Amino acid sequence: MYAIFRTPHGRPGQNTGPFGQGQLQCEACHGPGDDHAGRVRRGQERPPVPHFASSGTGSAEAGNAQCLACHGSDVGFGWHDAAHNFEDLACVDCHRLHDPFDPVRQADSQADVCYECHQPTRTEMHKAFAHPVVEDKMACTSCHSPHGDVVGSELVRATVNETCDQCHAEKRGPYLWEHAPVAEDCTTCHSPHGSNQPAMLTQRAPVLCQSCHSQTGHPSVAMDTGGLASGTPSRFLLGESCLNCHSQVHGSNHPSGSKLMR
Amino acid sequence: MTTHFQGRLISSCTAAILVIGGAAAAHAQSVDTSEWVCELCPFDGGYDGDVAAGATGASDDSAYFGDATGYDESGAYGNLDSRGTLSSDAYYLRWDAVDLLLDSRSARVDGGQGRFGYHASYNALPRREYFTTETVFASSDSLLSLPSDWIAAPQTSGFSMLASSLAGIAIEGDRTDLRAGVRYALTPRIVASVDFRRHENEGTRTLGGSSYTTASLLPAPYDYTTDEIELRVAYQGESARVALDWFLSDLSSASSALAWQDPFVVPAGAEMPALAQAPDSRYQQLTLSGGVNMPLFRTSVSASASIGEITQDTPFLAYTTNTTIAADPLPRPNLDGSVDVTHLALSVSSRPLPKANVRLLYRSDERDNTSARATWQRVIVDAFPSGDNELNTPYSYQQQLLSAEAGYRLFSSLKLLGGVSRRETDRDFQEVAEQTQDTGWLGFRWRPWDWLSLDGRGGAEKRDVGRYDETVATSLGQNPLLRKYNLAYRYREFARFTAGITPVDWPITVALNGLYADDSYTESRLGVTEGKETRFTADLNWTISETVSWYVDIGIDTMESRQVGSESFGDPDWSADVEDDFATVGTGIRIRQIADKADLRIDYRESDSASETRIDSLAGGADTFPEFETRQDALHVGVDYRWSERLLLEFGLTWQMFEADDWMLDGVGPATIPSVLSLGATPYDDEQVLFGIGFRYDLAATAAGE
Repeated sequence: MYAIFRTPHGRPGQNTGPFGQGQLQCEACHGPGDDHAGRVRRGQERPPVPHFASSGTGSAEAGNAQCLACHGSDVGFGWHDAAHNFEDLACVDCHRLHDPFDPVRQADSQADVCYECHQPTRTEMHKAFAHPVVEDKMACTSCHSPHGDVVGSELVRATVNETCDQCHAEKRGPYLWEHAPVAEDCTTCHSPHGSNQPAMLTQRAPVLCQSCHSQTGHPSVAMDTGGLASGTPSRFLLGESCLNCHSQVHGSNHPSGSKLMR
Repeated sequence: MTTHFQGRLISSCTAAILVIGGAAAAHAQSVDTSEWVCELCPFDGGYDGDVAAGATGASDDSAYFGDATGYDESGAYGNLDSRGTLSSDAYYLRWDAVDLLLDSRSARVDGGQGRFGYHASYNALPRREYFTTETVFASSDSLLSLPSDWIAAPQTSGFSMLASSLAGIAIEGDRTDLRAGVRYALTPRIVASVDFRRHENEGTRTLGGSSYTTASLLPAPYDYTTDEIELRVAYQGESARVALDWFLSDLSSASSALAWQDPFVVPAGAEMPALAQAPDSRYQQLTLSGGVNMPLFRTSVSASASIGEITQDTPFLAYTTNTTIAADPLPRPNLDGSVDVTHLALSVSSRPLPKANVRLLYRSDERDNTSARATWQRVIVDAFPSGDNELNTPYSYQQQLLSAEAGYRLFSSLKLLGGVSRRETDRDFQEVAEQTQDTGWLGFRWRPWDWLSLDGRGGAEKRDVGRYDETVATSLGQNPLLRKYNLAYRYREFARFTAGITPVDWPITVALNGLYADDSYTESRLGVTEGKETRFTADLNWTISETVSWYVDIGIDTMESRQVGSESFGDPDWSADVEDDFATVGTGIRIRQIADKADLRIDYRESDSASETRIDSLAGGADTFPEFETRQDALHVGVDYRWSERLLLEFGLTWQMFEADDWMLDGVGPATIPSVLSLGATPYDDEQVLFGIGFRYDLAATAAGE
């Protein structure tokens, strides 16, 4: 309990904080504590504080209101529209307010907090090709906005592509020759939580490419095992498959790049 | 720890420091707290935290395990971490430094005093892909050159100088992320903030360089830097909130082109082809958002409007590097590219009944590509003019979403949920100009007993297209029967469930989770026709005693799809069935306070994947590819031994292996494919043991004045 005095919440000189001059101290968050702190008869169970106690009487909504009263302008700005709010989650379902290093705000422990409800995502993250969440180098909040946002994307930016572009800005173009699905939604071809396929692709080439390309000639040909290294090694199948030649799948800025080869 | 996480994390931390005096102040107004003294509160300042140092030995080189971690080569590594807080009456500072002596180092600091808050962080992320690759190219700036004695040939089998010219090259890169920001509360209700971020991404990647009938996999250098600035002013009132954001993202690339000497025999003048690297670009965005809370039905209404523009005017390369081709002048020197990005949103959340809550959302996202259009005369792979006039197609789209969700608590233990949504997408220059996606679902949350929770949802979704314009498809050379994966009609049924079992008197918790989705593309004669996905997870945690706990978790994913093609450019004559299976099992035990001195943790995880592709064609019959399989095992044992109150000795042992059977790489050396000079990457077969020893010194006692 006393660990809170090693957090920003526990500084007495922070006038607007719970322990600041003239503030309500513990009751600022936990609510009126007269009953909890008062004398109890022998055998009588001590009444809990109204908020943030395992047996408290306050609802998740009431408890959240305590937090939002001070944090409304930042992390709580989009809370009213958040999926987590609609699902009746309380702030303390994820946060440990008395811990100076709240696990959900640490890269090496955040995902485990999220996995308590999002177990299928944990499975994906252990696939062979995934963003480095298992290695503690990214966290769920690298991309997701658990406190919600006004636009309802639950992402740190408005759309999937704008979120991906934060680290992959070289893909955003605009290019002279665009690849239409790239401009619209990265997840058409990529599984950002993890995939069995390299580059987190939803499938591997050439089948992935052939789900949208049927031009006469090699795009429409059924590639079979005869093209493997043990047969007649095929440039349409091995190495980088389609990307051996069409390497600019995210777009080309070359005047001769309409086929995404330049 | 990388990039986004640190930044957002620190923003949150800084926000936490900047308490704006809402509820507490409001309560305080009605209670006389002037005489309140918290006699038991340990307000003492000073610093608290720890510093850890040690060394880790890695048994083997490994690109797979070195990726993101920095343990990429065999040998010894130093470890240095520190975490702590420094505080006075009002001042607060928190630091966290991890892996400072590794390529994956990260450090952050955040703090504040009164109205002022700040944060800064640095994160490095090593990306390691292949160490088994070889190349004949030497890289210099934006040019990949061949050995001076290289003798070109029509096929790889004719490369007489190949063996003597190959040299190892790692396909790897490094990302670094630097952030800094300050926040200041102008008034108790108005907060202004400035955040800066520099993201650098440098390395070597595999890039195909085509010569039309031949190709070379190039070890292509890249060097991108993205600078971001975000300014924000936010007001939080009793019942209203509003914020104004300006965001700038500026991407610069060290080079806009990559040229290489072609190792194959090519037409005269095409010996030095070139391709374009990603162009520099700039994205600016202005966002105004706000909301108001109304007492009527405890309603919150929020809205957001955002306008932005992406621009790029990187000078074009010439049509060709081939001086023997008399290409026309370019119609314009650069794209003068401009994409207008607009987001609008209106959201209403309300509790119209004590037991009911609803959420309504409308949003519109538009990407309007207003880049200049022109007619271009392509020179195919710097070898010969195509003879075609081609008009660039700046793709635009607008997507609108209208959704409604509602929940009603029928009993104290049962809540019913439901939702509907419609998503409309309009596109330019594509086969489908108008697309709708209607979704409906019903669900429940049931807590029949304190120890059991059950959640379930199920629904259906129909993605419809107004018209699949086959004339557009034909103009792109597509088979008119094809329905592109993301543009096709699709009907989806889905369901998911979650069960949580937490017996009150038993030290066990169990969680089960399942998901099912079935897609039918009934209007696609060519293309993807079916898809199915199932997922299942199970978690068990057992607190065996006060000091011993054990867990096991299982995850299983299966994805199946079927697509149909036509080699004859007519009716369907082949099909491909793809099945992706994945399973992971993790288990571990924690034993604390062994002889009041030591904590032990053991974790083991095995993850296996198998991807199978079956082809059935009229021409070739049934054919099944070898499975693309991966297997990963990891065992970690850690022991923390408390030597004294302030000193903790730490020991760690990790064994990990990752192996893959990959037919795309198996047996494919640099010259295996007659028409492709590859980098000869081999499937992963990595095994590594890490042994670490170190100590962690607690600074708290020092802070107390010892």
